[in-house]
Amino acid sequence: MNRPRRTVQAITAALFVSLVPVAFAPPVLASTQTTVVPLQHMKLDLTDREALRTGALYVLHRCSACHSIQGTRFSSIARQLQISNSQIQRYFNQSGRSVHDTVVSTMPADVMKKFVNMTPPDLTVLAKRRSPDWIYTYLKSFYIDPHRPTGVNNVVFHNVAMPDVLANLQGLQVPIMKSGWLYGQRKPVAMGVKQLTQGTLTPAQFDSTTQDIVDFLTLVAHPHAKERAMLGPWILGLFALMSVLSFLLYKLYWRRVIMPTRRWWHKQ
Amino acid sequence: MKTDPAGKEHGVMGWINRRLPVVDIWRDQLAGYAAPKNFNIWYFFGSLMLLVLVLQFATGLFLAIHYQPNPNLAFWSVLRSIGRDSRWGWLIRDMHVTGASLFFVLIYLHIYRGIMYGSYKKPRELLWLVGVAIYLILAAEAFLGYLLPWGQMSYWGSTVVVNFVTAIPVVGKAIAEWMRGSFVVGAPTLNRFFIFHVFLVPFSLLALVLVHMIALHQVGSNNPDGIEVRDDCNEDGWPREAVPFHPYYTVKDVFGVSIFMVIFFWFVLYNPSGWGFLLDKLNYVPANAIKTPSDIHPLWFFLPFYAMLRGVPDKLYGVIAFAGAFLVLAGLPLLDRNPVRSIRYRSTLYKINLLVMPATFLALGYIAGGSASESNMVVGLHVTEMFYATFFLLPYFNRQRSRAATLVWLVVLEAVVWMVDYWMYAIHAHSWSLMLQTDWLPALYIAVVLLLALVVPRLSADARVPEQLTMGGLTH
Repeated sequence: MNRPRRTVQAITAALFVSLVPVAFAPPVLASTQTTVVPLQHMKLDLTDREALRTGALYVLHRCSACHSIQGTRFSSIARQLQISNSQIQRYFNQSGRSVHDTVVSTMPADVMKKFVNMTPPDLTVLAKRRSPDWIYTYLKSFYIDPHRPTGVNNVVFHNVAMPDVLANLQGLQVPIMKSGWLYGQRKPVAMGVKQLTQGTLTPAQFDSTTQDIVDFLTLVAHPHAKERAMLGPWILGLFALMSVLSFLLYKLYWRRVIMPTRRWWHKQ
Repeated sequence: MKTDPAGKEHGVMGWINRRLPVVDIWRDQLAGYAAPKNFNIWYFFGSLMLLVLVLQFATGLFLAIHYQPNPNLAFWSVLRSIGRDSRWGWLIRDMHVTGASLFFVLIYLHIYRGIMYGSYKKPRELLWLVGVAIYLILAAEAFLGYLLPWGQMSYWGSTVVVNFVTAIPVVGKAIAEWMRGSFVVGAPTLNRFFIFHVFLVPFSLLALVLVHMIALHQVGSNNPDGIEVRDDCNEDGWPREAVPFHPYYTVKDVFGVSIFMVIFFWFVLYNPSGWGFLLDKLNYVPANAIKTPSDIHPLWFFLPFYAMLRGVPDKLYGVIAFAGAFLVLAGLPLLDRNPVRSIRYRSTLYKINLLVMPATFLALGYIAGGSASESNMVVGLHVTEMFYATFFLLPYFNRQRSRAATLVWLVVLEAVVWMVDYWMYAIHAHSWSLMLQTDWLPALYIAVVLLLALVVPRLSADARVPEQLTMGGLTH
């Protein structure tokens, strides 16, 4: 390599490096305005049929009283859980809707509007909108807050309108307050929860039940995970093979072309 | 094809060709199109875009069959009718979404290729202008299509962008209402955006692509050396340093297509939301006209322009800065009139300028990805100025300038930058400490480039263009 080229590279590198702080500084400043509660991690398992059925049972019995899951139908859930249409109608579907209907909340939307002043969000793609870990942490992080109309608040979703529908299983909890940022102000913020009373499930059982619920909601959000996993290697493999073959073909064709030998940076 | 002594073709193809010149077109425009031998990796993207265009048409057709352009149905028709109820609908949709984003990756690379190798210079000015028009139409197409899933980000993104139109004096408000068909984004907006997205705009795009190719075949391809291969022909009139496009570049493009398809389908099958860049997480929530999200972003390929709109403190001047970015791009044939086309033989400082140009563009995108904080806006303003500076430095390099001329350039450009800055303070007085953090950026950049040119004239001297084609480092 000759000297001018090295100079070019040095100056270029210096210019790029000088741009780095400019590019990185502002968003870092912006992100310090609210305290982020670390999420609890859970291991997803979309293959455990029993767990998914348990999850479906809780979601369809408890969640879908108020939340719709309009992207899916009872019959598609039955197919995903590998149970019959009559089974899902008998044990899971409490809405009285037909098996090929979409899952709509049992409570009508206008009634919900009166109760909580909003339509509860649809759960179809909640696992994509948030994340499995977020739902898991959220469901476990309700705590007693007498200032709220429902009597509870949530660590990861401040002032949430939803009541703690799993309270009888988990028991009641009180917050662990720490100093943090809330709406741009420094004040005590709930950063975790402490068990106050026992529920009908032990903490380990409750964790596992919550995981089943999250597993099911994730399955609902990703109904084609199986097809993706099945198609992926074949399609990528096909085009990878085609890349190799077409590269060889390209080399074969171009062998007869007399190419210029001089590189562009060689001196004239 | 066999021909008899009179030159008349035999067979079915001959029969057809005498009535419809398909064989002639094939022979003249593909097998007979002389393409320079030394195309490198940058020359894949044009043909790849043609592939993506076809894919978008094909997938879009099936999506349009199942899509409902009605605010009550749109969100669920995408998520349920297309995504779940129709067989392979999810695959078609993810291909359409991925294709849209990768189209922009390709067009940005294609545009930068044109800038690097001076493909906008004589005789390719119209080819370049048609290309810029394609970029504009493609941006319109993407903007229209983004409203259709009727998610929160679709809705509020469109609301914000249409609101920028109201900045146009006198007629702005009327134009915005005319675009929306209403006072807010609503049912009439969704209807017309759908119709424009599937009917008017894509066919304009197709027509412009055809014009782009006709212009290309008229003037011939440029190449990484920027040498006109058509100037050096053998006795048959065939350029000595060119090969027939077919089969040489068709076979090479098949290789490019294969590699591209691996990347394309990796996104489609393994990462359909593309880390939130291809599909924004907020778009999993149906549009809600009474709930404004705290952070509204356009899709990633518009982020740099969004930083310009946000950074300039006045709405109208913001729109001018945004439109100006397209104008300076279209104006490249006027700005850069140096006879040397390729970056390979341009001066060191020109090379640096051409690296800073996309770097500022990327930095603008990064800034717009952050929140709408005041510091972000101020940085956006100064990086916008720097982006423009890289374009307005181009005429300086039209020939090697004397020391006196360099000094004049330095004084004038610095004066312009500081005047623009002062003007912006006059419109909106950000705190001085905030302004001074990045205020120096465009001014310092211009100063560094021009002072280097002043002190070391060698750095602004172009190299001699070789007589014959050369090769790059990576290919062959």
